[in-house]
Amino acid sequence: MSTPILVVDDSAMARKMLIKALPSSWDVEITQAANGLEAVDAYRAGKAEVMFLDLQMPEMDGYEVLEKVRQEDFNTFIIVVSADVQPLAQQRVKEMGAIAFVKKPVNPAEIEAILKKFGVFL
Amino acid sequence: MTKKILTSDQRDALQEVTNIAMGQAGASLAQVLGEFVQLSVPQINVIELEEINQALAMLVGATTVVSAVRQAFTGALRGEAVAIFDQEGCIELAELMGYEKELTPKAEQELMLDVANVLIGACIKGITKLLQTDITFSPPSVMAKNMPIGQLMHPSTMEWKLALVTEVNFALEKGRFTCHLTQFWPESSIVSLAEALDKFIESF
Amino acid sequence: MLAWNPSNLLPVLIDNIDTGIFVLDTEFNVVLWNRFMVSHSGKHSTDVIGHNIFDMFPELPKKWFEKKIQSVLLLKNFSFTSWEQRPWLFPFAHNRPITGGIDYMQQNCVLMPLENPSTQEIEFISVVIFDVTDTALYQKQLSEALNELEQTSITDGLTRIYNRRHLQASFNLEFSRANRHKFPLSMIMFDLDHFKKINDTYGHPGGDEVLREVAKRVKPLVRTEDVFGRYGGEEFCVLMPDTTLEGAIAVAERIRSVLQSVPVQFGNLHIAMSASLGVSTLTSEIRTHQELLQLADESLYDAKHNGRNCVSSRQMPVNSSPA
Repeated sequence: MSTPILVVDDSAMARKMLIKALPSSWDVEITQAANGLEAVDAYRAGKAEVMFLDLQMPEMDGYEVLEKVRQEDFNTFIIVVSADVQPLAQQRVKEMGAIAFVKKPVNPAEIEAILKKFGVFL
Repeated sequence: MTKKILTSDQRDALQEVTNIAMGQAGASLAQVLGEFVQLSVPQINVIELEEINQALAMLVGATTVVSAVRQAFTGALRGEAVAIFDQEGCIELAELMGYEKELTPKAEQELMLDVANVLIGACIKGITKLLQTDITFSPPSVMAKNMPIGQLMHPSTMEWKLALVTEVNFALEKGRFTCHLTQFWPESSIVSLAEALDKFIESF
Repeated sequence: MLAWNPSNLLPVLIDNIDTGIFVLDTEFNVVLWNRFMVSHSGKHSTDVIGHNIFDMFPELPKKWFEKKIQSVLLLKNFSFTSWEQRPWLFPFAHNRPITGGIDYMQQNCVLMPLENPSTQEIEFISVVIFDVTDTALYQKQLSEALNELEQTSITDGLTRIYNRRHLQASFNLEFSRANRHKFPLSMIMFDLDHFKKINDTYGHPGGDEVLREVAKRVKPLVRTEDVFGRYGGEEFCVLMPDTTLEGAIAVAERIRSVLQSVPVQFGNLHIAMSASLGVSTLTSEIRTHQELLQLADESLYDAKHNGRNCVSSRQMPVNSSPA
């Protein structure tokens, strides 16, 4: 069965860049969300076994999404994908439950390594 | 007003490129100041010359008194970056940068120039790397001190009609320092910018 | 002897260009030193290369320059310095020994990180020094001229206090400020008594001396935020922000007293003088700055009418309805 994954970014370009960087042999069913509100809805609908999450977004930002998911049952792997490359930003999102932080522009090898490390993609 | 100066794909790509570049600029600033920097979502606007001051007032806040530093960049992509500082935050910045004694006007200017150079340099470098082009930049200079935002630009002395403006706000989590980093792409360089963005889009 | 081809033009250019160029490694040791640097520093490249720049030039602003270079290394970014904030890096002699009027060559500097393309590490920093002495001198002359122009355009030539034009601009500004923030605002108008007689008796030079003396005596009595100027002829005005009617009357009384205290010395002669003063203050009935001015003028008329050498004040009648 294919893995439901959720790609959250306000930029369609950024979502496209990320999807392009996913391992080609990974069997996934992709849902896209353009802001935090849409992301939380998709998560509740079970469409996010893995979530790629941007931080700076209008409506609801990535930090708030992390907070919401943490309050609920937290049944997802969240990989934060952000242009905010401050070490403190990385540290914070990990403290909030993200399994990894990926810098923009994304590097396919880095993503594959993370997915393998957490056993999401073998 | 022709908002269709870029296609929606190009606009989206520019926003993402700006986002990535400004992210690097923010990290540089954080490194220099040792403080966490909050970044806003990039704004992309097409503005006409006559409305430039109103447009800036909308971005920065109409009643704000500001100081500003400009820096030009040249190459296949030409334009000017303007860093707009909120006046009140400048004093706090001086403390963070280790100016203990009373801040002389010259030292204050030097500080503003340095911070603007850090932000603009990192940002332009980020953009050129993503768009695979070369840019050289000229030294920054102070363009205004303690000026109401509505008087920052002098449209009567400028010779363009339309420009593309990108903006990101950098704010320190602790304290009042904020800096709006804007980039102005004149009409004449929008064509090459659009081409570079197309190449960028095609690479994905 | 090297073959003369484009690949070795660059060192020749670097040496002959009229711009300072030198390169440091990350330990601040000099690795390149062009001829501009040689001739201005008086130190040959063979003496400098391989040595720490701060050892060779103890006169460099070490702490600042080190910090500047650290930031280039840390951020891998260009850095700039401008003569306007920091006139020079090296205390070099300039090429205007006669016409200069400045201490050293004014310099703009560009600091550039030089990246090793294979490791992408910054291994060297180049520093380029531009001689901008001429620009700096023009800029200095220009701003001095502008300052002078600005001063003369708002100053009364005879008394060196503000002129009528500046007084009027200040009325506008202070009136709207006081109105907006509901701050008090008062005004004193005063006029020398029998000035025509002074002119007739002592001639215009005598009259001019009296006017200058008025400015000199009144200046110490007003605060820096007050605007004191010559309104015209023998008429003067003090605009007083954040001052109530009582406060302004007190100042007016002091002005009256100091003016008539001792006669004005004019050569061997002594000219007695006195003034009549009118005071007005901003109340909610006053709608324009002209009304405030008119009220001060009417008070001044009262003072003249009451026998001169005195202070009068008027407030706008509550039920008045100006045209």
